[in-house]
Amino acid sequence: MFVQDLRNDFYRQLVGKRILIVVNYDIDAICASRILQALFKYDHMLYTVVPIMGVTGLKRAYEEHQGDVKYVVLVNCGGCVDIVELLQPADEVTFFICDSHRPLDVCNIYSDRQVCILGDASLEENIPAFETIFYDSEGEDEDEDESSDPEQQHDDSGAGESDQEDQAPRSRKLSRLERHEQRILKQRARRQWESERDRIMFEYTQFSYYGRSAALMVFELAWKLSKDNMDLLWWAIVGITEQLLLGKIESGAYTLELEEIQSHVSRLTNKTNDQNTMSASKITFENDLHLVLYRHWPVTESMRYSRYSSCQLKLWTLRGEKRLHELLLEMGLPLVHARQTYGAMDLVLRKEFFSMVERLAEKYDIADIVYGTFTLSYGYRSRYAAADYVYALLAIMESVKKHKTPEDCFLEASDALSRQHKQLLSAGIDQAKLLHAAVFRQVQSSLEARQVHSAGSFFYYVLQEEHAFFSYPYALGLLARFLLRGHVATSRARQAPDLPLIASCPLNASEGMCLLVGIVPVREDSPRNFFGKAFEQAAQKSGVALLQDFFEPAVVQLRQSDLTRFLDSLTVLLA
Amino acid sequence: MDPSIIEFIGEKCMISIIPNFSNEPLHLIYGPVGPFRAGFPVFVPLWMATHLRKQQKCRIVPPEWMDMDILEEIKEEEKRSKFFTKMPCEHYMVVAQLVMSTAPDDVPRCEELRTVIKDIFDIRESKLRTSIDAFIKGEGTYAKLDNLTLLEIHSVRPILPYSLDHIARYQRTATASQRDTSMLSASMAGSSSGPNSNSLFSQ
Repeated sequence: MFVQDLRNDFYRQLVGKRILIVVNYDIDAICASRILQALFKYDHMLYTVVPIMGVTGLKRAYEEHQGDVKYVVLVNCGGCVDIVELLQPADEVTFFICDSHRPLDVCNIYSDRQVCILGDASLEENIPAFETIFYDSEGEDEDEDESSDPEQQHDDSGAGESDQEDQAPRSRKLSRLERHEQRILKQRARRQWESERDRIMFEYTQFSYYGRSAALMVFELAWKLSKDNMDLLWWAIVGITEQLLLGKIESGAYTLELEEIQSHVSRLTNKTNDQNTMSASKITFENDLHLVLYRHWPVTESMRYSRYSSCQLKLWTLRGEKRLHELLLEMGLPLVHARQTYGAMDLVLRKEFFSMVERLAEKYDIADIVYGTFTLSYGYRSRYAAADYVYALLAIMESVKKHKTPEDCFLEASDALSRQHKQLLSAGIDQAKLLHAAVFRQVQSSLEARQVHSAGSFFYYVLQEEHAFFSYPYALGLLARFLLRGHVATSRARQAPDLPLIASCPLNASEGMCLLVGIVPVREDSPRNFFGKAFEQAAQKSGVALLQDFFEPAVVQLRQSDLTRFLDSLTVLLA
Repeated sequence: MDPSIIEFIGEKCMISIIPNFSNEPLHLIYGPVGPFRAGFPVFVPLWMATHLRKQQKCRIVPPEWMDMDILEEIKEEEKRSKFFTKMPCEHYMVVAQLVMSTAPDDVPRCEELRTVIKDIFDIRESKLRTSIDAFIKGEGTYAKLDNLTLLEIHSVRPILPYSLDHIARYQRTATASQRDTSMLSASMAGSSSGPNSNSLFSQ
């Protein structure tokens, strides 16, 4: 059931109890869990935070930690699977789900008391009505029993009860006929109802998309409790920026949320008496550029490694480089300065950089490079855009090594959010730079070698060996998006912008598993992804063992040897 | 005494807060505190004020002496006078430190206040050191200093009596050895001494 009044129905229930928080492995969830932890710390509540990666992780975490816990909060996980059936919890355990994945599982929506979904029911789309999915089958069973009894008695005719039978055979016969007819009618109606239900469910679960950011929802809870401050607001901003940058929500939805966030920002900035303390964090709203980490890099590199500018200007070709130089020339930015780190550029140039890019954006076809976002500044040196935080956290999260487990990465990313651990954030930014440079190089070599193949209704791209960066879902997603855009920009096919892309990369050579990611076509504005269902059906048809473990349905794992068979069946399916 | 112990003692100072909750009076060992009414100021000990502030349950009202003009005046007075001036609060350093670290937003002009209070502390500290220096060099037997706060006293407390002790010991051994040499030289002058004493005092 949906819980709208977060303060009374959610928070007040949890005060003073022992809580288990299960967090999914993505940035929005990390931000939401940090805000939640801060709230719990204010009230001295006992809690355990468990990071998980997929459905099996969720099961294992619940089994390990379920002793004594009556309240479980699931952050960005578990909304799309039937929790009660999956985890088989005891009756008193209550689950609170704060998930931005959609569509939500209907069993969770219509559960009576065990599963509570935080959010507004009216904002959700297309939830099937209760009657259309759950059949009240009690009346049916009674008729079945009655109709089978006379048959049984009729079969026992030789047992000496023939008097009773003889007395009312006619009425029973008639009614038996009637009952037979009625039964047939009912069965037909039932079958019709079932097919209708299947159709509704298919439509409902066909596309997977994202709803409101979890971090923003938890921040609103903090606001209603009057325990919000700049740090929590910044974490909420990072959460929703992640949704925009990783292509989970459309820019329209993002712009709508911006207004609300701006009101929070102005309220919190004016709450402090003193505007001049340098150590306090200040959040400012401004129009910024879609250039990756441009405050921490030379301008040329930032332009080259950002997906949007790179693909519009085709910066992996020589001609593209020339256009870049032209652009810089018109901006009045000397090449010497453009090649140095942004912070080392001349002050005048730095101040004019944004306005000049804005002015020339139309001419060089990079009009969408400007978007509204927030910047955090504290102290004398630190000034970070929300996007910087997102990329840094992404790089930290995917920096799994031999001695560094995913849990360590999760905790490190969680620590990097706080202002005390600035060196973690800087390390993350350096990692992110490496990641983006690697993505660009990979895209460049793939496009030149024409490794993006068309399979009729979609493109596919297969990496042959495991890569330090791309064996992880988010990095592979970044690469795939860049690649698709780049391919569309260079290809002359008319329908290139309408075709989606499937990218695959081996996970580890020993087990022979590989990771598969599906990306929506370039021309589609909305990020509704049908790959979840498509992968499932293709796997069924071709008999391939697919591991749809992640909570993002468009990311799956399968065996390297099954890859070609799977792609073939997918081609047939989508043709 | 450790500075942390002095902080503990300093946390007993009363300070005014504005809570955002309502509660019955709390009966603590040294007296009742409260009642708490949301939006109305109430006096509580500093330790309770910081505790509540960390839980975002109240807003701290800075004490009256934490004001730029008053502190600037005190600083000027301190610079001019040879003696120590009376501080507005016995534990001004502890209170200032705690209030400004837990609730910098509640204090207007926080950074400037921090600088001024640190300046006052430095001036007093240097005055203390010069006076101790003069005391030791002047070989006085007793000194009297007014208006020193607990923290300042304890910044010199470990070392001052210890060093005076050492000085006294050296002085004692110096006078003792002086007496010995004068006695021995007197005895040497009159008689022919054994080879032992010759070798010792031949230089």
